[in-house]
Amino acid sequence: MKAIFITLLLALSLPLGLYSAEDLHVDSHDAASVAGEHAEQGVISELAGNFGITWPTLIAQMVNFIIVAFVLYKFAVKPIAATLDERQQKIADGLQYAEEMKTQLAEAERERAEKIKEAAAQAQRILTESREQSKEMIEQKTQEAAAQAEAIIRKASEATELERQKMLSDVRQEVARLVVATSSKVLARDLSDTEKQTFSDSAAKELASAGN
Amino acid sequence: MKRDKKITQLAKKLVELSKDNGVVTEAKVGEVLAGLKQVKHRHHLTVLKAFLVYLRREVALQTAVVSTPAALSADALAAIEAKFSSVYGRTITAVIKQDTSLIAGVRVRVGDDVYDASVSGRLQRLAESVN
Repeated sequence: MKAIFITLLLALSLPLGLYSAEDLHVDSHDAASVAGEHAEQGVISELAGNFGITWPTLIAQMVNFIIVAFVLYKFAVKPIAATLDERQQKIADGLQYAEEMKTQLAEAERERAEKIKEAAAQAQRILTESREQSKEMIEQKTQEAAAQAEAIIRKASEATELERQKMLSDVRQEVARLVVATSSKVLARDLSDTEKQTFSDSAAKELASAGN
Repeated sequence: MKRDKKITQLAKKLVELSKDNGVVTEAKVGEVLAGLKQVKHRHHLTVLKAFLVYLRREVALQTAVVSTPAALSADALAAIEAKFSSVYGRTITAVIKQDTSLIAGVRVRVGDDVYDASVSGRLQRLAESVN
């Protein structure tokens, strides 16, 4: 900033110096016509003469310019430079803050994306586990239901078989009872006393001869 | 308790005294009763009751009750007596008892043993075998 200001001052001081030199040239033009015989003076003096430079005026202009430049630098350029530096600092801070915010935003965005991705993976995992568990549970319940159904069928079959056996046994008993009762009645009615005595004698002899 | 044991032993001895060649006879029982009457045991009533119980048991063991619905021939009766006398090793006397529920045949009971050769018994066993 300071270099720019100095360059600006030099650029501004050049026309001013030229203007002063022109005034000096006008004054020195008369003097040149008077002192023509001094043409072979040095190159520097010739150049100074061409540009109308007189050393006291030049020095006075330079002193004035330095004073003006100092005053300007002290009371105008320096506050402006400070304000500009402050503004620039603020802008830089703002830019840095914006950059940091951008970075943080990107980080937050990345974290959000990671969390979403992680949550999606976790949800997928939970969903998979739930599906597997539900599948296992369904299989287990199906097997249990099949086992229960099989047990019920087996029990029903056993009960039916037992019932059938009991019924057959009851029928056999009833038939046997009826046969015995009928046979007893028929024999008791149809056998004569003689036949009964003959049978009794035979049974008694059979009993007596048993085991001999 | 001790008295009961003694009475039981006395009753059993009286039963043994009532036997003639291993068979309880009426004459021997009369002699035993006459002897008891002379002795006049202090618990004679209890002794008589115990004697009666053991005497009935002994008579039952020596008697074959032949149940039959009809008359039985003397040969069959003798065969039964001979058979069970040889089986039990003592003299068994057969007594006929009429039982029409047997239909035909005989059923012999000696003590707690029953030998069934009746029609009703056979039908009953047939019914049981069907079950």
